[in-house]
Amino acid sequence: MDESPRPPSDQSPPPPPPAQSHTGSPTDFLKGVVGKRVIVRLTSGVDYKGVLSCLDGFMNIALEQTEEHVNGVITNRYGDSFIRGNNVLYISAAEEI
Amino acid sequence: MASQILPLELIDRCIGSKIWVIMKSEREFTGTLLGFDDYVNIVLEDVTEFETTPQGVKKTALAQTLLNGSNIAMLVPGSNGPEDS
Amino acid sequence: MDASVTGIQEPFDLIRLSLSERVFVKLRGDRQLTGILHAYDGHMNLIMSDVEETIMLVDPEGATNGRSVINVAKRKMEMLFVRGDGVILVSPPART
Repeated sequence: MDESPRPPSDQSPPPPPPAQSHTGSPTDFLKGVVGKRVIVRLTSGVDYKGVLSCLDGFMNIALEQTEEHVNGVITNRYGDSFIRGNNVLYISAAEEI
Repeated sequence: MASQILPLELIDRCIGSKIWVIMKSEREFTGTLLGFDDYVNIVLEDVTEFETTPQGVKKTALAQTLLNGSNIAMLVPGSNGPEDS
Repeated sequence: MDASVTGIQEPFDLIRLSLSERVFVKLRGDRQLTGILHAYDGHMNLIMSDVEETIMLVDPEGATNGRSVINVAKRKMEMLFVRGDGVILVSPPART
């Protein structure tokens, strides 16, 4: 008789929206990954591997020691590069952060 | 009566769990959800990327990864991904 | 901190430091440009001069064992406005 299901909480107000500062948020990830080696994959499938200098709210990215990889083959190298954020599919850590 | 729970509250409850992310293109990701923001940019850990091509499904393992929300179509909470369903 | 070494706090700093320099620009549609960068804005709209455009034309007919035949077309423009939404990547000359 004590096994009754939890009462529905329809009387209580809805919970507040997600907390802004839970660890693991995109902002926290980006703080941890600046200065580290990353893989940036574009929606086209092209990868850019390099050291993340910085980025902004549009996901525009500045990379150092950039290698362009197409189908696993290096197709270009750039000392520095600016990648426009709308093309970015993901940013993945390529070393421990 | 308005819905009791906002869509992103549901996703917030999935933090720390497996999640399946389906992009607008023929691309999917699974991994452990670490966090997200109001744009539904998503941080995953222990990630597998699935890319469906005419040659078949290509899988890529990734470490911690930030997915750009603008390319995300759907999220499936608690799923291990395409190989699970 | 890394940024103090390079003097780059945000991505656009990289572009700002490339004004009046020859830059490489990768565009959607397999197009590439090299030219002198004169102006840019927050959309990444660009004004470039002395531009050489390279267009990769992949010929699927001539595809052999996965390697498609690629034809390259080049042309030159004296002065060019580039709409920002087509820009994928901008690479400035090597810093010294």
